[in-house]
Amino acid sequence: MSRPIEAENLTRTFGNLVAVNSINLTVEEGEVFGFLGPNGAGKSTAVRMLTTLLKPTGGAARVAGFDVASEASMVRKKIGVALQDAAIDPLMTGNELLRLQAVLHGISRHEGKQRCAELLERVGLTAAGDKRVGTYSGGMRRRLDLALSLVHQPKVLFLDEPTTGLDPTSRVALWEEVRTLNKEIGTTVFLTTQYLEEADQLAQRIAIIDNGRIVREGTPTKLKSDVGAPTLRVDVAESDFETAKQVMTKLGEERPARKGRIAIGLDGGTRAITSVLKSLEDQDIEVQHVELDEPSLDDVFADATGRRLEGGSDT
Amino acid sequence: MNIKYSIPQALQLSHRSILGMIRQPQAWAPTLFFPLLLAAVYAAQFSKAVNLPEFPYPDVTFLDFILPACVIQGVLFGSTNSATDLAGDIENSFMDRLLSSPVSRSSILIARLSSAFIYGLVQATILIAIFFAFGAELSGGVSSALALVFITSFLSMGVGSFLIAIALRTGSQEVVNSLFPIIFVFIFISSAFFPVELMDGWYGQIAEWNPLTWIIDWTRAITIEGFSWKAFLQASGIISLISLAGIATSIHQLKRRLAVAS
Repeated sequence: MSRPIEAENLTRTFGNLVAVNSINLTVEEGEVFGFLGPNGAGKSTAVRMLTTLLKPTGGAARVAGFDVASEASMVRKKIGVALQDAAIDPLMTGNELLRLQAVLHGISRHEGKQRCAELLERVGLTAAGDKRVGTYSGGMRRRLDLALSLVHQPKVLFLDEPTTGLDPTSRVALWEEVRTLNKEIGTTVFLTTQYLEEADQLAQRIAIIDNGRIVREGTPTKLKSDVGAPTLRVDVAESDFETAKQVMTKLGEERPARKGRIAIGLDGGTRAITSVLKSLEDQDIEVQHVELDEPSLDDVFADATGRRLEGGSDT
Repeated sequence: MNIKYSIPQALQLSHRSILGMIRQPQAWAPTLFFPLLLAAVYAAQFSKAVNLPEFPYPDVTFLDFILPACVIQGVLFGSTNSATDLAGDIENSFMDRLLSSPVSRSSILIARLSSAFIYGLVQATILIAIFFAFGAELSGGVSSALALVFITSFLSMGVGSFLIAIALRTGSQEVVNSLFPIIFVFIFISSAFFPVELMDGWYGQIAEWNPLTWIIDWTRAITIEGFSWKAFLQASGIISLISLAGIATSIHQLKRRLAVAS
């Protein structure tokens, strides 16, 4: 049986601009797959091709076993799509939109009514179901958007930046909903995001896209471990700085750090930290601050592209 | 196209379009108010125009004379609503939601055209009722009133189909709304508020060749002289041609828009 999503050399150009450059992807059944990248990296263009909204100019992709170009109508029956801007008609109620979506997917009136009620309950909008969407908060709109994409019980769910613009509480609530969907129903989820934490929290596997190309792919743990050892960061008094630096760089490879701070790559966990601190103490150096950071996805992104995804982080 | 699914889809999308219109009184209220305001002004200003020697209907009031034109004017103003809503769907990506679902593509167009027709029908009925309340008369009675409602609703759909094509082409509410003055000019350079017999020079010539003049004159014949199949079919025939051209343009623009998709 074919995988829920397979892309081979998938390409999209707009004139001279190559928005998506020959990407290869496979997403396994029941997986939450994160597609991480900055604005303009090509995430949405890739999603638009996979959801049949945009014709590829090169390569091929199959979604739910069907070719996105030649079997687009079959793909549309099998996928659920929640696009970046929560495209919801503000003049309609949540209930009306869900019923419309059910009819568009050929679901009978009776079944549609039942399913809409279930979905409203699932996303916590039963009480607001008969209110116009224009009165909903950003979080409520996103939850309704998610419910709309689930009306026909899709095999593959595409979520294009589902939490952009949401407050932290609504963001966490939506993550929880995606996790539940994936665990309870086994829906395969293709999630694009520019938030490292979101990808880290939700995705079992991640592809990082930059300038239209996939620059890294793997599980978050593997991607981070490939970057190298955790980073130990130490602050000392200015007068001790040079000596402390000499001591520490003998124990681990130097890493970039902000002014007044020394950072080294350090394997060996807490025992290794104790050893570094003891060496500094032996030199009579007083440590003002110490922290040990596991490599983050931002480190993975930086390692792959030479840039930080979330602006200049505190190195 | 699977009829089993596409008919309910078109009905449900039409229902949405009409609900959307009803829920935006700021969009439909002016299209009722302005024709009535203009009718009141013209009826007061030109009430004695019916006494002019070449006036084609000397035995009617000026209000009766402008009734069909005012209904047509109101309906034409309203015909922009369906296209504006469609452009709004494109702007706010609701169209993408539709296109990523298995909805029949023709249903999207049918829904907008039918909502333009239904909107025209409701608007024409309300305008005629208000004219009656102010003493206007239709010599053909119910059959003339029904013919007037049908012709104006059909025209709303026909002109609406061109505006829908422009909405599909541009995806911009602003562009669709900016066409409003063109409709205004078409109405004013026609026999809507004054008979072409009393016009002169280039203005009269343009008015004579304006298809809206023909539609208004045939409709006026129905409302003033009584219902006649000939006038009804002539008006409907011209509107059919306009509608066919508009729908063909809309289909072309929808296909063009869909061509970027799979």
